[in-house]
Amino acid sequence: MKPILVFCLLFIAATVNAQQNYDASLISKDLLPYARAVVRNEQINVEVKDFDNTVCHVKEAITVLNKNGDRAARIALYYNKSITIKGVKGAIYNSFGKQIGKFSESNFEDRGTTDGFSLFEDMRVKHYEPAITDYPYTIEYEYELRYEQSLNIPGWMPNSETGIAVEKSSFNFICKPDFNIRYKEINMPTSVYISTSANTGLKTYAWQVNNLKAIKDEPFDPNPENYLSMVKIAPVKFQYEGIDGSFTNWNELGKWISDKLLKNRQAVSPATAQQVIQITSGITDPKLKAKKIYEYMQDRTRYVSVQIGIGGYQPFTAGDVDKVNYGDCKALVNYTQALLKVVGIDSYYCTVEANPSRKISFLTDFASMNQGNHIILCLPFKNDTTWCDCTSQTIPFGYLGDFTDDRNVLACTPDGGKLMHTPKYTAENNLEKRKASFEISATGDMTGEMTTTFKGTEYDDRDWVIAQSQVERLKAMQNIYPINNMNIEKLEFSQDKSLDPSTTENIKLKAPEFASTDNGRITFLLNPVHHIAVPRQVHNRVTNVYINEGYTDEDEITYTLPEGYHLDSEILHRNLDSPFGKFSATMKVEGNQLVYKRKFRLNDGTYPKDTYQDLVDFYQSIADADAHEIILVKNN
Amino acid sequence: MKKPLLILLIFISLTIIAKAQDFEYGTFKLEDLEMKHYDKDTSAHAVVLNEYGRSRIDATSDDHIKIIYEYHVKIKIFDSKGFDHANVEVLLRDNDEDSETIENIKGITTYSDDNGSMSKTELEPGKVYKSKVDKYHTLVKFALPSIRNGCIIEYQYTTYSRYLQLFPHWDFQSDIPKMHSEYDVHIPGFWTYNASLRGSLKLTTNKAEVESGCFSAGGGKSDCSHLTFGMTDIPAFIEEDDMTSRKNFLSAVYFELAEYTNPYNGAKTKMAKEWRDVDYDLKHSEYFGSLLRKKDLFKERIIPVIAGKTDSLARAKAVYEYIQKTLKWNDFYATGSNDGLRKVLETHSGNVAEINLALAAALEAAGFNAQAVLLSTRENGFINKLYPVQEEFNYVVAKVDIGNKIYLLDATDPLLPFGILPLKCLNDQGRVMSLDKPSYWIDMNSTQQRRVRTSALDLTLQPDGKLKGTMTQYLFGYAAYEERKAIKKFNSVDEYVENLDERSPRFKILNSEISNLDSLDMPLVEKYEIEIKKYNDLYKDRLVFNPYITDHITRNPYRLQERNYPIDRGMPLTERFTLVVHLPDNYIVDTPPQDISIGLPNKGGLFETLYQASDNSFTFSHIIQFNKAIYSSEEYAYLKELFNKIILSEKAPMTLKKKS
Repeated sequence: MKPILVFCLLFIAATVNAQQNYDASLISKDLLPYARAVVRNEQINVEVKDFDNTVCHVKEAITVLNKNGDRAARIALYYNKSITIKGVKGAIYNSFGKQIGKFSESNFEDRGTTDGFSLFEDMRVKHYEPAITDYPYTIEYEYELRYEQSLNIPGWMPNSETGIAVEKSSFNFICKPDFNIRYKEINMPTSVYISTSANTGLKTYAWQVNNLKAIKDEPFDPNPENYLSMVKIAPVKFQYEGIDGSFTNWNELGKWISDKLLKNRQAVSPATAQQVIQITSGITDPKLKAKKIYEYMQDRTRYVSVQIGIGGYQPFTAGDVDKVNYGDCKALVNYTQALLKVVGIDSYYCTVEANPSRKISFLTDFASMNQGNHIILCLPFKNDTTWCDCTSQTIPFGYLGDFTDDRNVLACTPDGGKLMHTPKYTAENNLEKRKASFEISATGDMTGEMTTTFKGTEYDDRDWVIAQSQVERLKAMQNIYPINNMNIEKLEFSQDKSLDPSTTENIKLKAPEFASTDNGRITFLLNPVHHIAVPRQVHNRVTNVYINEGYTDEDEITYTLPEGYHLDSEILHRNLDSPFGKFSATMKVEGNQLVYKRKFRLNDGTYPKDTYQDLVDFYQSIADADAHEIILVKNN
Repeated sequence: MKKPLLILLIFISLTIIAKAQDFEYGTFKLEDLEMKHYDKDTSAHAVVLNEYGRSRIDATSDDHIKIIYEYHVKIKIFDSKGFDHANVEVLLRDNDEDSETIENIKGITTYSDDNGSMSKTELEPGKVYKSKVDKYHTLVKFALPSIRNGCIIEYQYTTYSRYLQLFPHWDFQSDIPKMHSEYDVHIPGFWTYNASLRGSLKLTTNKAEVESGCFSAGGGKSDCSHLTFGMTDIPAFIEEDDMTSRKNFLSAVYFELAEYTNPYNGAKTKMAKEWRDVDYDLKHSEYFGSLLRKKDLFKERIIPVIAGKTDSLARAKAVYEYIQKTLKWNDFYATGSNDGLRKVLETHSGNVAEINLALAAALEAAGFNAQAVLLSTRENGFINKLYPVQEEFNYVVAKVDIGNKIYLLDATDPLLPFGILPLKCLNDQGRVMSLDKPSYWIDMNSTQQRRVRTSALDLTLQPDGKLKGTMTQYLFGYAAYEERKAIKKFNSVDEYVENLDERSPRFKILNSEISNLDSLDMPLVEKYEIEIKKYNDLYKDRLVFNPYITDHITRNPYRLQERNYPIDRGMPLTERFTLVVHLPDNYIVDTPPQDISIGLPNKGGLFETLYQASDNSFTFSHIIQFNKAIYSSEEYAYLKELFNKIILSEKAPMTLKKKS
């Protein structure tokens, strides 16, 4: 009896929607600026029908305004053995809202998904893109995705992409009255509306937004959580790949991960255990012991992605890694934990959102499964908590870098989960320090030597160069340093992998015609090693200014000038002080020596949006100082 | 570039019995394990110690004749930067009718273990993963175990393929150096392949001999030709800007099927040995000729399109625009149609061949004599000119002659003007195919496409230190196309101009006017009224002034000591800039810029500057010109020096002085 009623209701809803007028001229003029497409109507219904049956029904109508908006009309439906696609259909309307075509699942193209080298990846995608050359046009479609789980409940972010305005978008979460959820509303203009259907007894949580303008691409924009509307949902009781669980906070979720996904996966062979004991014998400091084991792990493993085993959440066993000597982040952390356990060192398996350009923290007040994309290792030494990333064969023990620094992570332990915060690298410590001596000849040629040290988050700045062959390294250095005609005679890197790691780059170079010589003058750029890019201005900025990572550049270049010439340009002396950082550049001439000193400090943080022009001006002033030219003239 | 090896038909000696042999699996030399770096390329993160491949044609147990390809390699990995070589992917053709298979996958890693003694770990068969990539391909992947610095990996596999027309080629060269690489080929007399060698490296082994009675299937027996190609001490391949497909320059050997005799019934099939055979096949094919022939489909459709247009060029342009507007490219390259023209017209969507063959048919319907041109795009490599190989082409454009002029047309991009091809098509030669005449070669840049840009700035230095005036830019040919593409990335011209204005706080656009944005045949004209914050004020006695105001080339694109493949810039280029500056009454030019004139050999290009002064104003103009599309590697040093001179000139500012 009941199912028929539901069907009828849906049917009525569909008929009502079909009458919407998709005439493009009806779009409010307020929604057109910076929009390449406009969502006319989006309706997402997520229903948990049972613990192993969550259905996401999407109905969407998007008007594409120009060729750039074609991307918004693409439909990509991802699926695997536990996600099925159903009820795909759609239609296309011309600019007047007249239907000009229809499509169904048979028009979709089926493809595997590959992201880099992954040994195994069972996710596939069905893909459709309409072929319309007359703009604007509207595509209307619906589909349903069924998930055999209730742990990861799809959330909602109505305008996540730049260049897309939203006329109307609504999100309903539907469940049985005894299915409890927690939800988190972020930047929502209005709060949830909760109702219970008299007919079905089902509970509905409803959200809606109207008339959202298209967001623009803005440099230094903050995390979406800072300004975009979104809703996140987490279950209390759930099932995932046949495993039951429940949680209402990080402690319980961490406990579930530890008990159900990680437990009993850390046995290593006696030979390996023996090996670990042997290499650490004689070391008493547990931190140094851990360092030794970490380096041992690095030496005998490498990172290979394998998206397999309980939806990609469960690591390979330590025994497996021991045998094949490779694994993904989960497997390698679990393996390292197993090795540490042999000598009695306690460690935590931590999930984190890894991102080098944004620090995204786990929400303190809302626990849910999918807030992280990476696993790192935490060593809770007393007053000296130490963190490691186990997926690189080369990074130092205890080094996270900007990939995972300064953010909340979830440590999953047998005693439960807890939020921890990874260490912050300060602007003072993220140092690029350079000392160079350049000799300029009367013909404008330069010979010189330059040593640069990188510390803090800058430590791994040159890793991509070091990874290449010598010929490619030389090409890379020519890209890094804007020195014309740079011929590198010697290029050496050394990396100190101690607890305060640093990278040192040593270059011996020659640059014929480094300076231009005409009319008996020698002209060259005082700062040939930095090329600072001034950020684009933004009129009518919407977002706050976010500087992800602070750093410090310190340069000292000593020029030896050719005999018989004197300086014929201004002495540079520039000091800038702003909330975003400090800059100073000075020069001094003594005899035939010209000493140039430059110091630039950028402070990380979030600043009000109306200070953005000040940041641009700060950068421009630095660029102006960097463009200072030295002119030498022959003595009479 | 490609030397024909006509060895297949000529057997010099039958007495040489020097059988090429695979090296033994699972063995290694202690010195290889102990090797710390490769002497001939000390920065290499990995080196191929030995690589061996064998291809033969044989009847397999399932009673099919297949190409059996065995691959075997041993690689020394020095450090973690070379670990990627232990991740192996093999792509197999896999569709409903004919699926390639892989067998005998074996892998082993040899390394010094934690105690310093030698250990071996084998690849577990269960750790080989297969996944279907798309309708036509399956990817087989495995990762060698126990990878660590200094280890030696070795793996081998055998693939079976019924695609006899796609004989496995062999790359001698790759991104890492190789000590030795050898390819052993056994071809029964029933099949004849043409072999061609690519790249600049020399073979160190090159043998041909006859193996008697090596093949039998269905009663047919034959001898085989046994060919061995080998190279030693192969350097890694290095890429740079302005290079067409690396396939063109990588040292490799390729095979094309010329003809074969069915071993079961003796029937002889000549694969397209002559162009006239290809011409015939294409003309009568469903996927090519039948589309060209379908002009009747367009007769009705184009009546309103060409109505009232008497001039033939205008008529052709109208047809071209009609196809551009009606059909949308689905991003697939192809030399033939999958679904036929009717389906293409119905769905308004098609691949490159479908759209441009439709264009040719539509032009025919409008009374033109149109042809199709088969070509290979820049990233797809050069075309072999010795004998026809259809598989080498990957793109089709249309060609029409109006008056005495040839027009090459590509309707897949709505921003391309009539007669201009996208850069990717300007590669080597294409083959003109028509329904009624024999095919022939045409230079893909025979229509002399160019990038041409003329800029003029007229600025006045004001007492407040700002430069105010106009900037006008005229863009012709391909330069206009590229600029239109950049503008159309924005939702409106206003958003484009706003973005320009936002680029620098020193540079303000007060007014703008962009003409001919949608008139693709006309030059694109951009006029801006601008204000540049040059100096904070004018109190100083001396001012440094750099006359290169808008455009800077800060990096030389050519930075190698030498380059041993040509520099292919695609098309010639001309850029002219003129700057007029009106000075305030109290300033004069102190040191003017030095005039420069430098040319490339054989009028290949030039860079020239010219300074002229008059009362209270001066004009500085410069021109950059590259007259050729392709420069030989011998000309590399000259090109490099030309860019060097441009950069130097941009660095030498002039100075202004206050009148005393």
